[in-house]
Order: sequence, then C-alpha cells, then structure tokens
Amino acid sequence: MQDLYQEELMDMFKNPHNRGAMDDPSISISKKNPMCGDELTLQLDIKDGVIKNAKFDGIACSVTVISSSILTDYLMGKSIEEVKKLTKEDLLKLINLNLTTSRVACATLVLFALQEAIKNYEKGN
Amino acid sequence: MKETRKDFPILNRKINGNDLVYLDNAATSQKPKQVIDTISEYYENHNANVHRGLHTLSEEATQMYEDARKKVAHFIGAAHPEEIIFTKGTTESLNRVAIGWGLANLKTDDVVLISDFEHHSNMVPWFEETKMVGAKVEYLVSNENGEITLEEVKSKLTDKVKLISITQASNVLGTIVPVKEICKLAHEKGILVCVDGAQAVPHMKVNVQSLDCDFYAFSGHKMLGPTGIGVLWVRREILEKFEPYEFGGGMIDEVTYEGATYTQAPVKFEAGTPNVADAVGLGAAVDYLENIGMDKIREHEIKLNEYFLEKLKQFEQIRIIGPKESEKRAGLVSFFIKNIHAHDIASVLNGYGIAVRSGHHCVMPYHVKNNFSATTRVSYYLYNTEEELDKLIEGLKKALTLLG
Repeated sequence: MQDLYQEELMDMFKNPHNRGAMDDPSISISKKNPMCGDELTLQLDIKDGVIKNAKFDGIACSVTVISSSILTDYLMGKSIEEVKKLTKEDLLKLINLNLTTSRVACATLVLFALQEAIKNYEKGN
Repeated sequence: MKETRKDFPILNRKINGNDLVYLDNAATSQKPKQVIDTISEYYENHNANVHRGLHTLSEEATQMYEDARKKVAHFIGAAHPEEIIFTKGTTESLNRVAIGWGLANLKTDDVVLISDFEHHSNMVPWFEETKMVGAKVEYLVSNENGEITLEEVKSKLTDKVKLISITQASNVLGTIVPVKEICKLAHEKGILVCVDGAQAVPHMKVNVQSLDCDFYAFSGHKMLGPTGIGVLWVRREILEKFEPYEFGGGMIDEVTYEGATYTQAPVKFEAGTPNVADAVGLGAAVDYLENIGMDKIREHEIKLNEYFLEKLKQFEQIRIIGPKESEKRAGLVSFFIKNIHAHDIASVLNGYGIAVRSGHHCVMPYHVKNNFSATTRVSYYLYNTEEELDKLIEGLKKALTLLG
C-alpha cells in the first residue's frame, strides 16, 4: 500500500494517462460524486466486445484522477465480459493506495461510471 | 477565550502525531466537560420516561427536560417555553415547518421564497412539499459579495409568496443575512418567515422576538450540545395552525377505538419518548454559552476572521467566497484554489492534525452555479486561537507546494 501525497503519485495526478476526450466513442457516461459534486466523464471505444480505447475527463481530486488513470490503462484490450466482473475490491487492489473510508468514494467513482457505461452499451446493442 | 480550552477534553487529542487543530465547527462543535458530565449525571441518577410516571425518577426527569426547554426559550428570547419544540436537529425542524405548516397552509400556485445559497435541508423539504400541493419554490439571488440585498427581497415579494424560508448565517459563504429587515418587509405583505439558525444561534446573540420571525430552527450539536437534539421555535399564534407530523404516545388527549384527539403544544408535537438526556445536555450547553456571553464569542470570531482573511492574502491562488468584510461573516471562511481539489487540501492538512471541511457543504446548486467544484471551509469557535490559524497557514503552504 502506498501513502497518498508522495511525489511519484503526485506526478501521476499531474500527468495522468488517458485524460481527455475521443471523437467517436461507443459509449460516454458522466457520473457525479455526491460528496463533493465532482463530475467524471468516462468514454469507451468498444469493438467486437473488446475495449480498444478508454478516456476520462473532469475536474476531480487526486484520488479520482489517479484511480481513473490506472483503471483506464487496465481496461485497454480487455473484453467487456472480463471487465463486467471487476469489483470495488479489485479496483482498490489495482490502485494499491492507502485510503481513508471517505476517500474510497473518490476512487470508486470511475468504477461506477464504468459499470453504468457497460450497462448502457449493452442496452443499446 | 483561551481559558475555555481546558473545558474541552478532545482538544488534548493527537492526530497523526500532532495536536488537534479543530476548524470544522460549522459541521459540529466539540463538547465541554460540563455538557458531557451533565449527560452522564442524568443517566446515572435521574433516567426515566417523562410525562408518564408518578414515581420520583420520572418526576425528576420531567423536571429536567422541561427546565431545558425553559433555558432554550430564554436563550433565544422566546416569549413562552411552550413555543419550543424539541426535534433531532435543524433538518427535522425545517421538515416540520414544510410538512406540519406547509401542507395545511400552502395551496396551488403559492410560492415559497428561499435564497440561492440555502443548505439542502432548507431547500429539499420545500421541493417535496411544494410538489405535494402544487406550489413552487423561487429564489432570492445573492450578489457578488454573497449577500441578499433588501432590494432583491422587495423585487421578489409578489402576492403569490406565502413564506420566506432563509438562513440567518450561510454555512458556506459565511454571509449574515439581514433577517430582521426581511421579516419587516415580509410582514408588511402578510408573508411569514422561517429562519434556519443552525449557523447563527451557536455564534451570536439571537432573539426571536426582536427578529420578529415566525419559525426558527437550529441544532444542539453545533452549539456545544450533544447530537440528536435540535429545536423548532414556532410563534404561539401560528402553533394553532400547525399540524403534528408524528403521531403516537405522549401527544394525545384522548384515544378511543374510533379515533384520537391531541393535547397542547409543545407535547402535541413530540410524539413518542423524547430525547431527554440530550435535551438536558443542550440545557447545559446553553448555561455554558450564557456564562461566557454570546457577544464575547461573536467578537472573538470576528477577530479570527480578520486575522485569517489578512493571512490568506499571501496566497495569490486562493479565491475566497462570500463577504469581504469580517463583521459581515459568521466565524467561517470558504475558499477554492484553481486546479487543486479541496479534498486533497483537507487530506494533506489532516496529516498535520488540522480538521477542515471540504466539499460542497450541502449547498450543491450554489457551487454549480458559480462553477466551483468543491471548496475548503475553515470554521472556528470560542476555543480556537490565532496560533492554530498560523498552523493552518503553514499546512496550506505545504499543501500548495505538493499539489500545485
């Protein structure tokens, strides 16, 4: 477990992977964190049941940004079926951060966006 | 004021190896030993149900509960103790006005006027209540300094407006609202005024008769009292038009198999076994505050406002929201920093033992309207010192270096 607010993590916060928007996503979803009003947008490009590209954007705290950066990296090339099984515990293990209870909600915002995105995508197909 | 610190056991706590610097008093205040001991003493020696038993303990508990009501009535300048209804807090008090008074007195197309910086607890109950009766909510819009001007109030007082429900002190901007003047304007048109005093009663002298409002709501836990106890004051004449919101034991006059009639206020509005211990604890908090003097507390907080606002000037990146003038504010300052999230600031400060609030502080629409995601709020009370604010400033410098 890593403590937040170390320089390397702050580097990831300041220069996260996959931040931005894509031109023609298969699905785009925005989700709010009711605790602080942060809004995160997650976009996925899906072909033949596989995630080809994932991007996130929004004004958010370091935990949300770091978690989004790591999760979007992880999603690349994964099948929807695989990603559907991802739990909160899996995500927390993946990001490996020492978080207090209230900050866990910051980390999971991107996961809930992902789950809703996949649900909407499957409904659309 | 510094001498009061010894009364608050929690101020001896270490957080992450540092002395606790508690600056989240607008969320809840800490409790002096006098309040904690009063609650223990009640449970150890007097605990019983009130208004029911004939035995000694029940008589004592009833006496203590009713004495607490009298203390609270005196503290806010109420004319009659029976105007004080004990609730679990400001949120319940405001819901009671919306449901207990609103459902019986508002009709289709009537308007409830609230400010654009109300706490969700003085906003959402009105959304629900107006939906039920076909009425609507309209807004008093604050100016750039975070104030509601009397011109704005006058311009919104149409014939449709039946009630203004407004905070006396904003929990996010700090703005002190000219409630007395608003009541005068409203009453000239026969409009009633409900005041959310959650951030005012703990920090300044409040007199409901001099304000001339009609409903006044506040919480015990923000004024050195326990959680789970709050107050709704309702002017006696209006109590007659006020319907109970909960039904059951204690509040009845007579029950037959065919129906029930209800007893008099305030017991009529306190169905079930009330929160006796915490009401008694609130009475002890009132004693404590009166002993120090509300004017002295207000003076202390204005001084801390001046000190802190001056110190914040060294940070170019920090934007303060709400009134610029210290005396126009309650004892709190909220700010935001471009590209640095309030949660991150609060987490870094916590590492130094400093407790502040970050988020939208239950005032989400105002944050969205002004395009700031989350703000950091520093709110003080009688036990806070300039030295503690110095520690906060040092913590902020470190947070900015790390996150900036």
